[in-house]
Amino acid sequence: MSYVPGQPVTAVVQRIEIHKLRQGDNLILGFSIGGGIDQDPAQNPFSEDKTDKGIYVTRVTEGGPAEVAGLQIGDKIMQVNGWDMTMVTHDQARKRLTKRNEEVVRLLVTRQSLQKAVQQSMMS
Amino acid sequence: MMQEPQEMVEETVTVEEDPGTPTSHVSIVTSEDGTTRRTETKVTKMVKTVTTRTVRQVPLGPDGLPSMDGSSPMGSYTDSIDRRYMKNGERYITPQASSTLTRSYNSYNDSYPDSHEGQYRPYIGHDGYGDLADNYGSLSRGVNYRPRYAYVPGNSYRPEDGSFTLPSRRDNYGPIAQPQVPVGSNVDLNRSQPERFQPEPYGLEDDNRSLGVDDEGYELDPDYSTVNRRTSAGVPERGRPHKGRGYDDPIETEMVEERIPYLHGGYAAPLAQPERGSMASIDRLGKRSPSIDSIRKDPRWRDPDLPEVIAMLSHPIDPVKSNAAAYLQHLCYENDKIKKDVRHLKGIPILVGLLDHPKPEVHRKACGALRNISYGKDNENKVAIKNCDGIPALIRLLRKTNDMEVRELITGTLWNLSSYEPLKMVIINHGLQTLTNEVIIPHSGWESEPNEDSKPRDAEWTTVFKNTSGCLRNVSSDGAEARRRLRECDGLVDALLHALQSAVGKKDTDNKSVENCVCIMRNLSYHVHKEVPGADKYQELDASQTMSTGGSQKKKKDDAGCFGGKKAKGKKNGDLDRNFDTLDLPKRSETAKGFELLYQPDVVRLYLSILTESQNFNTLEAAAGALQNLSAGNWTWSTYIRATVRKERGLPVLVELLQSDSDKVVRAVSIALRNLSMDRRNKDLIGSYAMGELVRNLPSRQQRSSKNLEEDTVVAVLNTIHEIITDSSENARSLIQTQGIQKLVAISKSSQSPRETKAASHVLQMIWSYKELRNALQKDGWNKSHFQSVSAAPKGSKGTAGRSGYDDSTLPLVDKSQDNEKSGSRDMIPMDELGPDGYSTIDHRDKERKYKTSDNTGDASEKEPLKNDTNRKNINRSNRASVNLVDARDIKPQPVDSWV
Repeated sequence: MSYVPGQPVTAVVQRIEIHKLRQGDNLILGFSIGGGIDQDPAQNPFSEDKTDKGIYVTRVTEGGPAEVAGLQIGDKIMQVNGWDMTMVTHDQARKRLTKRNEEVVRLLVTRQSLQKAVQQSMMS
Repeated sequence: MMQEPQEMVEETVTVEEDPGTPTSHVSIVTSEDGTTRRTETKVTKMVKTVTTRTVRQVPLGPDGLPSMDGSSPMGSYTDSIDRRYMKNGERYITPQASSTLTRSYNSYNDSYPDSHEGQYRPYIGHDGYGDLADNYGSLSRGVNYRPRYAYVPGNSYRPEDGSFTLPSRRDNYGPIAQPQVPVGSNVDLNRSQPERFQPEPYGLEDDNRSLGVDDEGYELDPDYSTVNRRTSAGVPERGRPHKGRGYDDPIETEMVEERIPYLHGGYAAPLAQPERGSMASIDRLGKRSPSIDSIRKDPRWRDPDLPEVIAMLSHPIDPVKSNAAAYLQHLCYENDKIKKDVRHLKGIPILVGLLDHPKPEVHRKACGALRNISYGKDNENKVAIKNCDGIPALIRLLRKTNDMEVRELITGTLWNLSSYEPLKMVIINHGLQTLTNEVIIPHSGWESEPNEDSKPRDAEWTTVFKNTSGCLRNVSSDGAEARRRLRECDGLVDALLHALQSAVGKKDTDNKSVENCVCIMRNLSYHVHKEVPGADKYQELDASQTMSTGGSQKKKKDDAGCFGGKKAKGKKNGDLDRNFDTLDLPKRSETAKGFELLYQPDVVRLYLSILTESQNFNTLEAAAGALQNLSAGNWTWSTYIRATVRKERGLPVLVELLQSDSDKVVRAVSIALRNLSMDRRNKDLIGSYAMGELVRNLPSRQQRSSKNLEEDTVVAVLNTIHEIITDSSENARSLIQTQGIQKLVAISKSSQSPRETKAASHVLQMIWSYKELRNALQKDGWNKSHFQSVSAAPKGSKGTAGRSGYDDSTLPLVDKSQDNEKSGSRDMIPMDELGPDGYSTIDHRDKERKYKTSDNTGDASEKEPLKNDTNRKNINRSNRASVNLVDARDIKPQPVDSWV
């Protein structure tokens, strides 16, 4: 998932549709994110390329909406409802996911296993 | 008859004087006591002792006491001497004596001012040694003794039994029990020698308190001191074999002879045992040579023990005081335990009190003792001196006295004290202006109102100036407030610059004083763009430019700050450079003075001359550090300085120094080049001329000839390379051409140090970012994987461009705190005790200071954890140029994550 500046990013992605869960006054998705262009990418345990400043899923609540929808820990979020998530700050990412007037978010996520699966299927 | 006399080799010597003395066998005393005696190196000492011996031989007078004529004293001497020897071998401190001498002398260790700004390494001033040699000479006390003899006889020593008989005191020796001040002689330096003389008490049993050092005698003769020491040599701790007699003061011996009579009665008061008293000695004398027997069994006196010596410091008779102080100095030489004991016994306040004493010999010796005490790894002694207002007392004395030796001792003590960080501000508060007015300005040759007709005076490189500059070096490393005070001290910067100009003119740039001065200048140049009054009006607009340009690249964090700034600056500089050629420096209504001189482009010429001429690594490092500090920052003066360095043909000088064998020099020069390349034209020139040298400095397994530099230095070089290839693909190309890629890849893959790896990876990534060079790289067999390594996470690239908050103090800027801070602590204070090497006590701790830049640019407050790099730059002020790049990375903030 490394990218070359200036070139389009390509990845094999999975669509994940998460229906937010209402808890009191909040709508939660049940996972936590890390990363952002304002964060230190070196600390990201999930990224293949340690210079990748994208948004990654760092924790997933068991039984929560995200897990149910198929989100896995370590996934990199590429888009949320069509909005790009590969070049955003951490806060911007958080805000895009937690809009109060949206009950469903559709994510495009990628993970290394997807890439490998595709490669294998292509090779075979 | 005296068998003992054998030892008395000296006797022989004395023999001359004392006709009666049996010719001594030169057998040297070292016998029994052996060891100690031996040291005598001091043969001269021996001489002394000898004299005593002879004394023994002296026929007793009617009263049983040796007749007091010249010869008699001798007799007594011998006696005493014997005793001494016998008494305790331990007494014989002689050997040390010699050593002490040395010690006292030099103690000048230099305290390194290393404050981080400049990390200095502690250096030890050895000057002392040189002096020591002299001292040794003086040891030949023996020689002196003779003269002393002369006096001795004169006095009526005898009568007093209790009196110590300070030789000098003859006149007033009344029956006063004077503590035998062991050689109080101040010979600070000499401590060793003279004293050692034979600790053995003369053997006067009772008041063996040998004659105190004869003040007169001592004063006259450096040896005296030693002699005294001798007596004192009987270090109290030595345990007195004698019963507790007064200690014998070898020196006193001479006098002792005479004294013997009184010794008995004498001082030894506390210890005097009646029978030991003169009678005892007399007996001895009478019976057979007191010599060995007496000594062995009954050393008439013993050296005073430490509490006694300290008590003597408060004795009403001045010579006793001064002898006690001198003896104390001797005892403390290189003996940490005794220093501690002195502190516990509350000796330090008394010594500080003696600094105000009107008599020169008293305050001189007290100062010598304080100097020895202040030296050492144990800082408690320094604190104790400060707690009893020792620092104001020293400064007061400095203002009052004209005696060069005293001034040397005072400034030496201050140098020692300044190596301990908590005291630095205290020294500044009490002593900065005085030291400047009393020492720096006069010895530098600077005149505040120069007479137009006379030519400028040259600097005098005196010991006092060296000590004072060492002290100021240490204190200048103490942080922003200390720097401010020094910058604003009237005449200091002017005088230091004048002194340095004079040194360059006389081509004498390797001495310690010059080193100290350059370190002070380096420290004061640290952060000058932020700290001097009125700095903000010169600030360039860097921030806005940074922001706009920052976002585009993820540069290393430190770079980020710098880059942003640098980029902007670079452009600006480029423009400005062109303008500078035609622009004048800001108009000055009057000539620059005071701290303004720190950043006038004229200093560039000075530093470059020093860099060209000096061979002293510390001086070179400091001068490079000063240039580094001055060329950091985003203000007008830095821009001028950067351009001036180029115009004064300074870049080749720096590039040549990259070949130096010394780590610290290479490091300082690299960082200076890095800062200088903030200027566009400099960057181009440095890229073309320095790339080869920089690459040559990188380690390489294959190349046998490659230098083996420390990690910090390698990191500094890597960061410099990074800086010069940023924004300049030509420089990146020349890096490729110098075969640098191979080394960089090797470092990034296989270095043991994570910082080196990171720095190398940064450079590689920067190279890779120049797409146009990729073909060339691939032709050489490199591919992307070499350049993009997982581990090379960009340090926190600045993150958003907005990060202009980067504190410019990060590396690119001077931050090399080392410079600043170096000075100072590291240097150990010169201790007189130390021999040429004088170990440095406190070390420049300053160096380690870490500066934290609080740059947080407001980046998202919540983000901090991840952002560590940009925001928290820990500037490491250690000696090494802290390359922030690396550091920043090292601090890994906890990644932040948010629940959604």
